[in-house]
Amino acid sequence: MLTTGPDVDSIDLSDMAFWALPPEQREAAFAALRRDRPFSFYAEPVMPFIEPGPGYYAVVRHADVEAISSQPKLFCSGRGATSVPDLPPELVEFYGSMISMDDPRHAKIRRIVSKAFTPKMLEALVSSVETIFDAVLADARAVAEAGDGTFDLVRHISAPLPLKVICQMMGIPEADYDLVLEKSNLILSGGDPEYIPDENEALALILDAGQKLAELMQRLAAERLETPTDDLTSALVHTEVDGETLSHQEIASFFILLCVAGNETTRTAMSHGVYALHQFPDQKQRWIADGSLSKTAIEEIVRWASPVIWMRRTATQDVQLAGRDFKQGDKFLLFYNSANRDESVFADPFTFDIGRNPNPHYGFGAPGPHFCLGAHLARRELDVAFRKLLQQMPDLEVVGEPDRLQSSFVNGIKRLPVRLTGAS
Amino acid sequence: MTDAVRAAIDTDVCIGSGYCEATAPDLFEVTEAGTSRVLVDVVPPERVEAARQAAADCPTRALQLET
Repeated sequence: MLTTGPDVDSIDLSDMAFWALPPEQREAAFAALRRDRPFSFYAEPVMPFIEPGPGYYAVVRHADVEAISSQPKLFCSGRGATSVPDLPPELVEFYGSMISMDDPRHAKIRRIVSKAFTPKMLEALVSSVETIFDAVLADARAVAEAGDGTFDLVRHISAPLPLKVICQMMGIPEADYDLVLEKSNLILSGGDPEYIPDENEALALILDAGQKLAELMQRLAAERLETPTDDLTSALVHTEVDGETLSHQEIASFFILLCVAGNETTRTAMSHGVYALHQFPDQKQRWIADGSLSKTAIEEIVRWASPVIWMRRTATQDVQLAGRDFKQGDKFLLFYNSANRDESVFADPFTFDIGRNPNPHYGFGAPGPHFCLGAHLARRELDVAFRKLLQQMPDLEVVGEPDRLQSSFVNGIKRLPVRLTGAS
Repeated sequence: MTDAVRAAIDTDVCIGSGYCEATAPDLFEVTEAGTSRVLVDVVPPERVEAARQAAADCPTRALQLET
């Protein structure tokens, strides 16, 4: 399938047109880079109102992604982890969360929130994930039955589950769920014209979205400070580490991180998972026949989907890596999607195999202090979702092509038409 | 036969992700401080495999085993 790749000189990962190519062509390009140019250098993408920086290296091999990710003192996050240019100062207030921080500040905040996301703490959440998803499936079925049996999987199944789980964890009033969905979509739109029609307005729109989410959270934090409940917001406003509590602004930027990182990613994994089971029907039958495959199946869905395409690191000093010299200040984009297809690590990387084991994918990021906080939560959500989908909607059929988000950062699916055939 | 080992958590790099606790709740727990701690003086031979798995799962490699 990928024996003849494109000429590596013709690949430009900073060109938005690259991210609109069919997935097979993008995969072929990354395969060529892994083989021939593992540290390809690109000029920074052109963005309105933001002074482009010096460019970046695209890190595409599993081993190199791991080496950079696991040495946070040499390759820091504090100069921006989620944008190629350094963050403009006006965005730092809302988007300067711990994902773009280094230790010791990062570790301090991370430890305050990590307790809420351990598998042990999440056990209590499983029954509420099940209840939420039962209601989501019932709503989706009602939509299908009110029409010709078709509905949009993303809108009616993949999007509502993580949104409702996160909002419920934080204690967001139900009336505000739509606002959270709309604003987190916008923040992670990656410039997709459906969400940001005029790119000159991108900065203002993203700033406004952060402002709205921050206001919502600051209001809630103030309420919980006064009257605590058993939600995460209450825990956050009352937790002290080294005698210090999080400021309401820190809570707000953590909430924005949680909204965008916890919604779009799980949604993307679910949508890709359903589509993969459609493309590989033998794997769907295999899973239905043997529910004990769920653990490996979910890891494979996360590898396959690679919901977050890259994170950035910046060299803190002159450094040698894989026999090459890099300079202090050099930027690196760690392409997790490419690491997850690395032929030297994964046998048949382009085969979706729900029994794949071992599966050392970097779908939750590579080893290091910024490893996905929500990994356990995402696994629980995916476990509940696919178990119930396969049980309650075995007749769910994909009836069209996925409508993909045009973004280099999130491997999103905006719409996926499906149908309940009624066959059992 | 596997020998007993000592386990140690490097709390400078531990982020309390809870993988060790999930794999071997009898050996590790995430504390109120948001980092993990070892619950036993020595890991008995029959639990060494679980401790090794926990160390391998740790996303920050904060868990070290010494024979």
